[in-house]
Amino acid sequence: MSFDLYLIVESVPLMLSGIGITLKLLVISAFLGLLLAILLLLMRISGKWYLDWPAQVYIYVFRGTPILVQIFIVYYGFPQFEFIRDSIFWPILREPAGCAIVALSLNTGAYVSEILRGGVLGVGKGLLEAGSALGMSARQKFIYITTPIAVRLALPAYSNDVISLLKSTALASTITIADMTGIARTIVAETYAPYEIFISMAIIYMAFTWVLQKSFGLIEGYLGRYAKREA
Amino acid sequence: MEALTGWWDDYAWGSLVVAKVFLTSIGLMVLFGLIGAGAKLSNIRIAQKLAGAYTVIFRGTPEILVILLLYFGSAIALTSITQMFDPEVKFVDVPPFWAGTFAIAIIVGSYATETFRGAFLGVSPGSIEAARALGMSPLQTFIYIRIPEMWRIALPPFGNHMLSLIKDTALISIIGLNETLFVAKQAIATTNKPFTMYIFVGLIYLAFSSAITLSVMGLEKFGKRTTEGAR
Amino acid sequence: MSASDADPLIQMQNVDKFFGDFQALKNINLEVHRGERIVVCGPSGSGKSTMIRCINRLEEHSAGRIIIDGNELTDKVKDIDAVRREVGMVFQSFNLFPHMTIAKNLMIAQQLVRKTPKGQAREIAMHYLERVKIPEQADKYPIQLSGGQQQRVAIARALCMQPEIMLFDEPTSALDPEMISEVLDVMIDLANDGMTMIVVTHEMGFARSVADRVIFMDAGEIVEEAKPEEFFDNPVHERTKLFLSQILAH
Repeated sequence: MSFDLYLIVESVPLMLSGIGITLKLLVISAFLGLLLAILLLLMRISGKWYLDWPAQVYIYVFRGTPILVQIFIVYYGFPQFEFIRDSIFWPILREPAGCAIVALSLNTGAYVSEILRGGVLGVGKGLLEAGSALGMSARQKFIYITTPIAVRLALPAYSNDVISLLKSTALASTITIADMTGIARTIVAETYAPYEIFISMAIIYMAFTWVLQKSFGLIEGYLGRYAKREA
Repeated sequence: MEALTGWWDDYAWGSLVVAKVFLTSIGLMVLFGLIGAGAKLSNIRIAQKLAGAYTVIFRGTPEILVILLLYFGSAIALTSITQMFDPEVKFVDVPPFWAGTFAIAIIVGSYATETFRGAFLGVSPGSIEAARALGMSPLQTFIYIRIPEMWRIALPPFGNHMLSLIKDTALISIIGLNETLFVAKQAIATTNKPFTMYIFVGLIYLAFSSAITLSVMGLEKFGKRTTEGAR
Repeated sequence: MSASDADPLIQMQNVDKFFGDFQALKNINLEVHRGERIVVCGPSGSGKSTMIRCINRLEEHSAGRIIIDGNELTDKVKDIDAVRREVGMVFQSFNLFPHMTIAKNLMIAQQLVRKTPKGQAREIAMHYLERVKIPEQADKYPIQLSGGQQQRVAIARALCMQPEIMLFDEPTSALDPEMISEVLDVMIDLANDGMTMIVVTHEMGFARSVADRVIFMDAGEIVEEAKPEEFFDNPVHERTKLFLSQILAH
């Protein structure tokens, strides 16, 4: 058992060539997932049971099942039905990357909506009363008081969720997508050198995670500037 | 639904495998988590560093990479060790059950490390001091004050770790463990009903995670009653 | 439809308030005239806060009528907004918006509710910050101020809306002792200017020197209502005597 350095030098650029796909999966899913999360959040806090319940069921189902199963249902499962193959969504669902993005967005949306809800619930009741006492409308209170504070409260948990999402993009390799992990698996299948390839792959993901953490740290610092005693 | 006829047995066995992986991995996860937390709380520099690296590595690396590395990596390692004694051996197979169970336990254990550490530090120094002032011995303080309080703090995140474990068992199908997702794949090959089969897997997982959620809720209620009763 | 000066500014008639089965207010009748200063005291849980929170409808009363400057408080949103513009409120826990600077705290409601242009809103904000004697803190965030300073900002924030009535819900209870007087000074200053005020407080010195009337509440009822000298020197009811003996003992 030896560690083949030359193989690493040769493979890393190959694996990095998949970073574009990994990034695409991450960014698009994070964005669509956030939109879905906001929608679910508004349904949850609407105070109307016919909006709240479906959102709760959705969140429960998507958080209670493995993401891999969700990906398989979208990629392998949906084409079982003719009406899906005939629908306008087919151009998206025909592509593995489209399926991965759909599944990842649906999944992360469920988690993020709960994170956002935690932020909204964390906004002190007294602040909203102060807003009412000053004559602010429900809408004004939501925009000027609840939202900015909730965003700051939710950000640390949200950054963890984006990192989870990055890790989940690696599952795209199970439906033939050549993201970083997909390429790594192909190389291992050819060379049978799992240590060299998978460990360097892991280091690349860790670097990616580190960059994400640092970026969110900067945003948190900016948004939390009012929470520090020293100016 | 009639597509499922003839596959019930296989799904039942698959579910049993899921349950076995889950129960085994909980034990290992707690073990890894306690070791990690102990190391982080210790005064030994190197232990702290190692535990820090442990959490950083497994939080930043996709689960699937860890599973693949452990599976193929350990096979190669075992093969070369065996070949030292018996050069005739071509390849040693590692059971996917153990490789997968270890992998997900190590991953979730890295999160549990933080949970256990937080729970230990979260116990209010006031109640420890009060117990000591009342003349309780360190051991009594640990058993009657620290453990119940840690338990209360750690239970909600621990519930989430259990949910992560149960969902991560699905990933082990990638290395050929004959759990439910693996069963579904076989069923699809003969029935050509991917949607039905994968949705059914989803339902099985939903049942598992519901059972876990309900048990954790029950335990939390029990914990609350005992702490409130003690007031 | 502003009422004439002779009519009471605040009228509460037979007001009840329930939280589930618990009756927090029992048949409250109260009239406050323009320029009057009322101090409300009583043991905790006696309904003092609930009563003043009903006046700007942070709580909805269950029965009876509440009329503020001719506007009756009903479910109609328009009336509530009209009333809230007339009534300023100061909270025990300040409730400054933590993510806005002091100046922005004072400007936001002016801009949103009164539609005051930004520049003018800032001028008004600075005027009231001068009045509570902390104009130099305008561009800091609430957390950077002491409790006493924060509460003065909260008073200035309410004043920026130019209310007819100011409600104070235990404004000094959350403050360290050395900061209480700086807040009371601002309130005395305001009283001297003729502001109509209802103050829930245990500061009996303030009650004695500033109040026109003192109201004692217990178990959701107004038990006693009197001028301060009568209230403190010759309380009528046993419950009042007991309360005063407890609160003045230390």
